Amino acid sequence: MTKKEESMDRERFANLLDAYGADFRRWPAQMRAEAAVFAAQDAEAAALVAEAHRFDAVLDSARDDNPVSHDLAARILAGAPRAQRPAFDRRALLALAACAVFGVVIGYGGGMLAPAPAEDDSYFSMAFEAPSAFEDEG
Amino acid sequence: MIDPDADLVRSAGAGDQRAAEALVRRHLPKMVGVARRMLSDSAEAEDVAQEVFLRVWREAPRWKPGQAKFETWMHRVALNLCYDRLRRRREKTDPDAGIAVADTRPLASDEWLARQRAAKVHMALAALPERQRAAIALVHFDEMSNIAAAEILEISVEALESLLARGRRALKAALADVAQDLRGGAEGGS
Repeated sequence: MTKKEESMDRERFANLLDAYGADFRRWPAQMRAEAAVFAAQDAEAAALVAEAHRFDAVLDSARDDNPVSHDLAARILAGAPRAQRPAFDRRALLALAACAVFGVVIGYGGGMLAPAPAEDDSYFSMAFEAPSAFEDEG
Repeated sequence: MIDPDADLVRSAGAGDQRAAEALVRRHLPKMVGVARRMLSDSAEAEDVAQEVFLRVWREAPRWKPGQAKFETWMHRVALNLCYDRLRRRREKTDPDAGIAVADTRPLASDEWLARQRAAKVHMALAALPERQRAAIALVHFDEMSNIAAAEILEISVEALESLLARGRRALKAALADVAQDLRGGAEGGS
């Protein structure tokens, strides 16, 4: 049999009082009603509860209800995850695609209008002529 | 097991700011509270809470509801961060670093007495072994159920009760004069 299943007697009551104090709301849920009945029927148990009440009051004198500093919550929230925004929204993506298509069309059309490359490559060889060849002409 | 935070964590992990705000609203005071009780230092407690949430934001996108509730996991992270800081404190030479001391500034007598009492309780809590302090912080101050507190500390309910009882007995012995003061005050006032 575990402790939780033991029926209430003065020793068990005193042990629970030692652990949880006089407020039965802090006691194990399944023991609260039985503890209240026991304390009401047993004078010694009632005296123990009164003593535990006094000690709870001592502890409660250190209850720190100061609010947390004003900017702490803001600082914490500043680090919270943010929803991931897509790198481009749909309109930007469409505009980019239109630009790409326009570029391809212009590039292709320009290529069609450009003069055909000269068949002879004399200008190539001229580029490597010695400077003296030009001087003679001058 | 239904985790009341599961949807919020999933949404916050996906970048939902409202879900992140709701998580902060729901859990920040508890994280600061337990760290204050463990460290007896408000500024350090806020640092711990901030660090807990940094880990929350890192874990949230891949959080899968599993064995432990999200809140349980958060408390474990907070307590482990506190244990680390307490260990670092011990490694330093000043044994009183970070421990609240009695305030000596002039105040109205009632307020002064209340602050003195609070400081004594903080010092007595700080003198407890860490696990006993954590058990009392969770059950007495945070009013967690025994099952939730045992889960956070990764011990059985019976072991939790033992930690609580030993911790409360040690505090009772250390704070006998405070209890006497309070009793005297209550009787004098009645």
